[in-house]
Amino acid sequence: MDLERLKEKFYLLVAPSLPNEWDVEDALGPLAESESACLDEIFAQIPAIWPVSHALCFAYLSAAGPALCYLALDELSLWVHTLLDRYETAGLHGAQLFMADVDQQFARPLRGQGCLRLADVRSRLQPYVNGLAGRELPLIAAVEAATDSEAIFLPGEVGVFAEQEENFLLYKLMVSFQWASLAAGVFIAPRFLALHRKSAHPLDCFFSEFPQPDHARRLFHLLETGRVLEFLRQELPGLMRSMAPLLPRLPLTGDEATEPNVLDWLQRGLLRGQWPADGHSPLTDRAMALMRHGAGLAADNAASLEAVRELMVLLPPEEDLATTRPLIFQGIFRLQEMRNLGMKQRMDKELRLMQATSISLPAVPKQADTDVHSGGGEGQGYDAALIMEMERAWDQLTPFMQSQAQQIGINEMPPPTGKPSQEHGPTQAVQETVSATEGRAGSAIARSPHAGGRKGEEMAEPVVYDEWDYRRKGFRKKWCVVSEKELPPVQNAFIEQTLKKYRGQIRRLRHQFELLQTGERFVRRQREGNDIDIDALVESRIDIAAGLPPSDRLFIRLTRDHRDIAVTFLVDMSNSTSGWVGQSIKEALVLICEAMEVLDDRYAIYGFSGMRRLRCEIFPVKRIDERYSKTVRQRISAIGPREYTRMAPAIRHMTSLFARVEAKIRLLIVLSDGKPEDYDDYKGDYAIEDTRHALLEAKAKGVHPFCITIDRQAHEYMAHMYGEVNYIFIDKIQRLPARMSEIYRTLTS
Amino acid sequence: MAGQQMRIDEFRIEQEPYYLPIGNELAIAEAAYRDGTPLLLKGPTGCGKTRFMQYLAWRLQRPLVTVSCHDDLSTSDLVGRYLIRASEAVWTDGPLTMAVRAGAICYLDEIVEARKDTTVVIHPLADDRRQLPIEKRGELLTAPPEFMLAVSYNPGYQSVLKDLKASTRQRFVALSFDYPAAEKEVEIVCREGRLAPELAKSLVKLAVMTRGLKDSGLAEGASTRLLIQTGKLIGRGIPVKAACRASISEALTDDRELLAALDEMVSSLF
Repeated sequence: MDLERLKEKFYLLVAPSLPNEWDVEDALGPLAESESACLDEIFAQIPAIWPVSHALCFAYLSAAGPALCYLALDELSLWVHTLLDRYETAGLHGAQLFMADVDQQFARPLRGQGCLRLADVRSRLQPYVNGLAGRELPLIAAVEAATDSEAIFLPGEVGVFAEQEENFLLYKLMVSFQWASLAAGVFIAPRFLALHRKSAHPLDCFFSEFPQPDHARRLFHLLETGRVLEFLRQELPGLMRSMAPLLPRLPLTGDEATEPNVLDWLQRGLLRGQWPADGHSPLTDRAMALMRHGAGLAADNAASLEAVRELMVLLPPEEDLATTRPLIFQGIFRLQEMRNLGMKQRMDKELRLMQATSISLPAVPKQADTDVHSGGGEGQGYDAALIMEMERAWDQLTPFMQSQAQQIGINEMPPPTGKPSQEHGPTQAVQETVSATEGRAGSAIARSPHAGGRKGEEMAEPVVYDEWDYRRKGFRKKWCVVSEKELPPVQNAFIEQTLKKYRGQIRRLRHQFELLQTGERFVRRQREGNDIDIDALVESRIDIAAGLPPSDRLFIRLTRDHRDIAVTFLVDMSNSTSGWVGQSIKEALVLICEAMEVLDDRYAIYGFSGMRRLRCEIFPVKRIDERYSKTVRQRISAIGPREYTRMAPAIRHMTSLFARVEAKIRLLIVLSDGKPEDYDDYKGDYAIEDTRHALLEAKAKGVHPFCITIDRQAHEYMAHMYGEVNYIFIDKIQRLPARMSEIYRTLTS
Repeated sequence: MAGQQMRIDEFRIEQEPYYLPIGNELAIAEAAYRDGTPLLLKGPTGCGKTRFMQYLAWRLQRPLVTVSCHDDLSTSDLVGRYLIRASEAVWTDGPLTMAVRAGAICYLDEIVEARKDTTVVIHPLADDRRQLPIEKRGELLTAPPEFMLAVSYNPGYQSVLKDLKASTRQRFVALSFDYPAAEKEVEIVCREGRLAPELAKSLVKLAVMTRGLKDSGLAEGASTRLLIQTGKLIGRGIPVKAACRASISEALTDDRELLAALDEMVSSLF
């Protein structure tokens, strides 16, 4: 196919965009010679890539031809799928690296060969290690395997063996080994160890007693590795049995060394059983004897510490142990981090104690709070304090928490209110510690209630949700950040006016809703029941007398139809709801609340709006367990038009909130005035398909979605999103308040 | 009445059930029995509550009438009702009335599953009155000294809907059950599952691991009962890993990732 026709085809696919002609020619030039079947497949992927990134699309076109040398034609779409995932996690550069090596990065893993990434095995190994440890030990990507007692660090990729299954086993051994190191007490300091520096780990103090502390550390770690492997053989025999053929195949740095040192010998012995013959050197002989017969079998690390003392005397000064890399599953020590964590936990505990005892003290006035950092005006000083606090809090986060925060793109979020993800418990505690240790102990207490009170303040940690991309038939991982924000209550005459305006209607609605209330009722003529149904019995006697076959339905049964319903009203607070629309929605909410009060159904009201994927906002008006109070009414008054309608993250958030509610029927009623749409390219089919997918996810989790819309074009897309019978269109917005209660009644009876 | 007598005899436990006491639960239960105080057993599923009741009934030589409660259980289901038999209305005792008349032990298993209004019927029986009013017959039954009421529930459900009313629970002497300590659990699994101690030890290790998965999405870890079932499967010649998969992993969860993690635990241990 000649270049002109390719260009024409390309422009058709990316319309209405009009990219530069020379860029297009550059990218399409190498493809001109390709077969038409290949070209069709390559071009079929463009609609999925172009909207994500134009630069990525051009890079793809250049790389797709060579990629097909490694891939079957039908594997191309999967390759593009993975490419898009990679682009979203590692950017354009990461995507280019991925495309540059199709064989290693994609084709081999696809065929069950080659390296394995931590991200691929985490879902399996995380619960595994939690089960082993009986507590959460997060698995975090790092350069080398290690543990800091609160988390386990693992290499981001393992490609030691040719087969993925073998690499998985190696990952599993790493995890089990790091857990076993904690369980077997490798890091516990025996009482006899002197603590020179309070801030250092006792084992580090021990190593620093020697002229070459690093050598002592390496010797100790390897001796302990022998002991931990023995521990694993006892505790997890199945694992060690399946690892037995793999351990001798692990590459050792000693394999290339011309003169192996004592560590090389010990590693060989440990993994391959190749112990050197006696008489090799006094050091090696002794080390070997200690490992095989002493330290390796001991119950704690005291024997290893003793062995280190003994071996360090024998170690010739010229012998360099740093050339030997630790075994891949053994990894490195993170003793200082362990010590810091221990100290922090102790501090936290003391702080909590302090807080508990000082809770009755009056809070320090805000003046004191700002004076500490005042550079300019009061507001500035406060901001500066906040930023410093954030920075310090960031420094104090464990690497895991930092990585989690970075992963969800937290630094792109509005800085002062963004708190890192909650996945690691102590985050909150860290921040409290920080504010309290800045000489503002009083304010640490005062801040807590204050934190939720400011206008539009975030009320909980942001939650991250995936977003469905229909073009690639897959999720954009961790794409949208949803945060719950407080809607500041507004005091005005709106509620009173509404109650007055709809007085008669409210009375009628309450009556209608009362009829919905079901409780106990008797059902007659049952085969089984609590009591005899006299009427039925008399009839059956008559039947017998008349020679007719009598009925066996002679009992009366008391049934209780408990309305076990929980409902959430999700209100669109986008810009387009200004004026009449917003007013009617608010009135509708007041009416439905008034009517709902006579029912036992639990209900919640949330508003949603936001701008772009990193700022999807949810405004709780009434939580499910909250009473319909004055504050709730004032929050309804506060509902007003805000920004855009990214509907799917809000639906996903509601679904996840529903997961905590126990009810037979869970209903999600969405009130909207138009199509889902956001400031970025979240519109059209993409937005509709994502919303549809979010609704399908909700249904799969037992939530029944229903939409009330006032969009005149609703029929075109609503049936596709919600299903034919799950939405209703209201043509006269003024009728919404009355209609909404009717709809609810119909839906739930 | 003769028919009734025959029926209650069916609830007698002739052979000594196997039960390994964990603490002083037996002494407390026997003391409560002597005082006529009802018993509340709480603990996770499959930790031995029902077995304890069987053992207690055997020791006290009383019939044990067990009712598994459910949310459709009505008062008549417990107390009794009129039935039409040959065009005659015949009163038939419910299990609770039968136990009171015969001086048996009535054990209401998973009492929180029953509706709250149903459980109120046991109130006069559970305090010092020890009476059961049968409204439909206009009869007030007074329980003989041999009668004992016992109820059980699992506090692990963490649901507000499944909790006992304070007025109900404050009538009972409560015994808290949990999975036995590792050595005792090994002994139980060995004996009941007919397993070698080594294998039983590994199974218990597996159970402890699954119990650590509460925060990872597993509602409850493997119970002692599941371990015994697994042991029996192994005894029937099913390979260990397949038995663990069928009897533990699949019984605990449907979640694919958790199943994979459980498989990893099994393959590490065996």
